[in-house]
Amino acid sequence: MKNLLRIARWEFNTRIRARSFIFNTFISPLLFTAIITLPIFFFQYQPEVSTKLIGLIDLSGENIEKELQNDLNNAYRLKNGSPEYMILQVSLRGSHIYSAKLKEQTEIKSRRDSISVLYEEVKTQRNQYFRNRSLRNRANLLQSSYDRLQFLREEKELVDIELERFNVVMDSVYKQEAFKMADSLLITDVLNAYIFIPYDFMKTGEMQYHSKNPGDFLETDRFSKILQTIITERRIINDEVERSKIREWLKPIHVKRYQIFPEGQTEWNFYIQFYGPVIGVFLLFMAIFTSGGYLFSSVLLEKSNRVIEVLLSYATSRQIMGGKILGLGGLGLTQVLIWFGLTALIMSTNIIPVQKINYLTVTNGLYFLLYFSLGFLFYGAIFIAVGSLSANEYDAQQINQFLRTVAIFPVLLSLIVLAEPNSPIIKLLSYIPFLTPSFMIMRIPISSYPITTDIYITTAIMIISIVMVTVFAGKIFRVATLMQGKKPSWSEVLYWLKASSN
Amino acid sequence: MDNNLLEIREVTKSFNNSIVVDKLSFMVNGGETFGLLGPNGAGKTTMMRMIMNILRPDSGEILYNDEQRHKIKGLHFGYLPEERGLYPRATVMQMLIYFGTLNNLTRHKAQVEAIRYLDRLGMVDFTNAKINQLSKGMQQKIQLVAAFLHDPAVLILDEPFAGLDPINQVVLREILDEYKKSKKILIVSTHQMEQAEKLCDHICLINQAQVILDGTISSVKKKYRENAYFIESDQPMPILHELKEVDIIEEKNNAYKFSIANKNLSIGELLSKLKGKIKIKKFEIVEPSLHDIFIRLIQEQTAASN
Repeated sequence: MKNLLRIARWEFNTRIRARSFIFNTFISPLLFTAIITLPIFFFQYQPEVSTKLIGLIDLSGENIEKELQNDLNNAYRLKNGSPEYMILQVSLRGSHIYSAKLKEQTEIKSRRDSISVLYEEVKTQRNQYFRNRSLRNRANLLQSSYDRLQFLREEKELVDIELERFNVVMDSVYKQEAFKMADSLLITDVLNAYIFIPYDFMKTGEMQYHSKNPGDFLETDRFSKILQTIITERRIINDEVERSKIREWLKPIHVKRYQIFPEGQTEWNFYIQFYGPVIGVFLLFMAIFTSGGYLFSSVLLEKSNRVIEVLLSYATSRQIMGGKILGLGGLGLTQVLIWFGLTALIMSTNIIPVQKINYLTVTNGLYFLLYFSLGFLFYGAIFIAVGSLSANEYDAQQINQFLRTVAIFPVLLSLIVLAEPNSPIIKLLSYIPFLTPSFMIMRIPISSYPITTDIYITTAIMIISIVMVTVFAGKIFRVATLMQGKKPSWSEVLYWLKASSN
Repeated sequence: MDNNLLEIREVTKSFNNSIVVDKLSFMVNGGETFGLLGPNGAGKTTMMRMIMNILRPDSGEILYNDEQRHKIKGLHFGYLPEERGLYPRATVMQMLIYFGTLNNLTRHKAQVEAIRYLDRLGMVDFTNAKINQLSKGMQQKIQLVAAFLHDPAVLILDEPFAGLDPINQVVLREILDEYKKSKKILIVSTHQMEQAEKLCDHICLINQAQVILDGTISSVKKKYRENAYFIESDQPMPILHELKEVDIIEEKNNAYKFSIANKNLSIGELLSKLKGKIKIKKFEIVEPSLHDIFIRLIQEQTAASN
């Protein structure tokens, strides 16, 4: 027993001063938190330098420019109070093609207008002929005016068709030219983006957002929300509903979520509920794999530099293995306690909204320690076996990498866990010893009711698994650490496992 | 002080159906230097590991002072493995204290003993040096100190002289002589037969998992004596060529190595024939070197097994 403690002390003392331990304890968690939270921070708090110019090509005929501008002004303003967005109708004054077409269209229109005027004149005249029964030659006049009227009507119809056709061409030219103009303004950075609203916008609700960075979800989200309101408003107006009521109806809704616990309810915050447990899993993973990794490298190093042979002449293999597990497990616990201390420090300084984070409790801290200990003992025993069996560091690192991937796998399912932490599939996955610590550390804070039964079940599964892998690792360690330069075959490993003693 | 005794009785060990040690038996008396010799793969390391209880024999017994070795608790070993077994990033003193405390020394006692041995081996200035900053020879000395430090009941040294300069070889021999005086068990394994011949009192030669030679150095040499003699004079000895019973093996500067092929002539008769005719400077019975015996026996056994 004394030697076990001496070995434990040696392992603890030599690693606690290691640079990698200090890095994994203080720098890695900070880096990880920064990596997962900074993109959101940047996304939400982009610097607003100046008012952004947004072009508008509106073919819907709804004249939404003013309304769009008003709504944007109401919703988004810069810190200095000026509007964040300025809507500019894309003008085609400079386009020769469009001007020529416009001229042509005006000519057709004036032709149609003059025909209309003439038609009206002839119509009025014919009315007079019709009323004046005393008129000489009345029948002839009526007939000729009728013929003329008929001719003008046909003429007018033809011009109307021509105008209609021309309007289609004009729209197409307008669209083409407007796009050309808007693109050049966008490329020359006059515009930050432009919006195209097609003819059938009211019907389909489809619009286009053109920008150099269409991946800017924040901007597109803002425009689509505001246009959604406008289009809905217009549709309701078409159904002849009072305008004043529409505004009221369309007032945006803010959903506040509350989570119910047996002891009461608290406001639910996505960032706190999602990132907290994910950071928790990461810390658990770090703790298990920092100290587990040391266990692994310690066995591998002592095997390769033959210290193990000297140690075995001084202490039994059980003492050596136990000492390593105790010393490096203690190191992992120290790491966890340092994090607890730092969390307590952060809580006392109110840097984070502690009152909103209901899972930062002593009980959950104890659960963290429980699943760290179980995870460490489980993975630690596997690491000892892998370290003893490996002929070289390259082999060992491959298996190490595989185990890390398995252990961090639950993070990939974190959104599913968040949606339903106690679903049958998640429950089942948390009964797999390799995944138990990570899943349970996510489930405990997220679940709305205590999952005590699952804690008992998973603890029992872990203890049984730990006993099994430790017996396995013990047999492997005793024999395989003395082998040099040769990777044992599976049949050899099975032989050692079957042998009750060597 | 009573003599200690380590007894190996019919010990067998196999790995994956391949016999590494086959019914090996020998005895090591306290106070003698016991040489466990043999070619590579003979089973020496496995035997040493079984003595230290790192491995258990499949059959047979290992007794220390008539007690089953594996049942004795608190029996301290000093072990020098053939290849270095040190922590490269630890300092010399950190590591020696660790090894010392694993053998029940207090930290203070371990430190004092470490300094004492380091001083003897000229390494006292390196107590705070990291192992990976030391040369191979220096590391060998640290490994030796780790083996002696706690005054073990059984000292097992595998190639102790490898990497040591002649001065330190002498120091090591002195330390071993002191250790022997305490009548404790000392086992040395080496490939260097010259060293074994100088150092060991008793040898056991293992080949192909079996003992092929066991005995004191003098008894072994006596057993393998080749009926050869050495004579040296200040003048040539043509008479040796004239005698048909004499078979000259080697001749150099009036020194002759020869054997007597015919039983009709005894060595006494030969010497009396030479007496008065030449002045004899040196005469001795030529004994085979351990190296020669080693080679001869290994070759014989290999030939027999083929």
